[in-house]
Amino acid sequence: MIPPHVRYLTFPDLGSACAALAAERKYVALGGGTVVVPELVRRERHADAMVELRGLVPDGVTVGEGEVEFGALATYTTVARDPRLQEAAPLLRQLAAGITGGAQLRNQATLVGSACRAIPSSDVPAALVGLDATMRVQGPSSSRDIAATDFFLGAFRTALAPGEIVRSVVVPSHPGGYGYLKFKFSESSWPIVTAAAFVRDGASPGGPRWATIGVGGLAPVPARVDLDLDGSLPTAADLNDLLAEQTSAYWSDELADGNYRRSIAGAIARRALAQAATRHQDSATDRGGE
Amino acid sequence: MTHVDPAPHRTVSCTVNGKDVQVRCRDGALLVEMIRDTLDLTGTHIGCLNGDCGVCTVRVDGQVTKSCLYLAARAEGAEVTTIEGVAEEGTLHEVQQALWNGEGFQCGFCVPGQVFCAMDLLESNTTPSDGQIRHAISGNLCRCTGYQKIVEAIHDASTRLDPTEKTATH
Repeated sequence: MIPPHVRYLTFPDLGSACAALAAERKYVALGGGTVVVPELVRRERHADAMVELRGLVPDGVTVGEGEVEFGALATYTTVARDPRLQEAAPLLRQLAAGITGGAQLRNQATLVGSACRAIPSSDVPAALVGLDATMRVQGPSSSRDIAATDFFLGAFRTALAPGEIVRSVVVPSHPGGYGYLKFKFSESSWPIVTAAAFVRDGASPGGPRWATIGVGGLAPVPARVDLDLDGSLPTAADLNDLLAEQTSAYWSDELADGNYRRSIAGAIARRALAQAATRHQDSATDRGGE
Repeated sequence: MTHVDPAPHRTVSCTVNGKDVQVRCRDGALLVEMIRDTLDLTGTHIGCLNGDCGVCTVRVDGQVTKSCLYLAARAEGAEVTTIEGVAEEGTLHEVQQALWNGEGFQCGFCVPGQVFCAMDLLESNTTPSDGQIRHAISGNLCRCTGYQKIVEAIHDASTRLDPTEKTATH
């Protein structure tokens, strides 16, 4: 049970909800609720009130010119079942359909909530980093954008200031190939290592093809590799070296220690990259060859 | 002397198994607590209280939901269906009947979640594969059956519910 003193508060608009969250250190924002509610039940989080975000932030997905915007309360089910996203955001659609916890969890939990909790082995943070997502943030009196690469500061820690909430996340919808892979020990397990790879034709950084890979579960914050792809793909060992260059601390928890995660991350990243490269090749063929 | 506020309460108005109810509960009451403790519908179980096991599954506005992750306050205006509401009193839904016939449960603790998730699957897919069934029930832990008999029962239920088979089975 949630401690009896905890209140449930609704506000007429987002600004006043953010103002309340800024003023009261022990108020907590309630999005999907699948993280906050059990944390309160387990007494891992101490709060005086839950601030309802329903009705104050968008719960839909907007497919725009070259980008897709996911409202803070868009559930995994909303994302997984949106046929437009097969073209516009296929990696996140696949990710959403495969979230652990069953249909019940996917009906309630959200991409944005997962990002805000910043659990190192969650699916979402590394995918957003790999996809160059932008967090649209609202505070009591102003709004700002934060790049996903700057958003995750540590395990369970983000760049949000007190009173700020993420209103939506925007992901560019480049044409290209994607690959998503997660390694976990059983169907109901948290992921151990995840890899979200994206291959695109690229002027930047300069090669004929360019890849980004966001790797989750390896370190307290998502790791990211950017690389030119000319000729053959890098091996798992190459990717392990690239990941090691930018990882100073590895994530350990009761499911797997840092050494284990470190030893498999390159292989998971390699498989996601291979999927992405194959899809990129197929889409190039569909576009009339190159 | 410290002043202690009385626990904040509210009245939640919603529909449970087709009946309008008004329930007085704590602000932080979980939907599962409202269903079991106030409405005395104890077919909805409490297991992990952590969103893992699925025994507290109900439907909220048609969506399968773990009621330990859901605040009662959020059910204001909603239509809630518990396991007691999936079939007429004294009868079984086809999924329940298939689980009964196929020994798809032993202790029965996980049954509400298995039933709701199977119903949810079969509403959109009347001929699911083993893999689709296993994915659909993946939010429900069963420590008795090893799942195989549950999967078989859901196949059986799909046959019972398939309109093309209906004349043969009813």
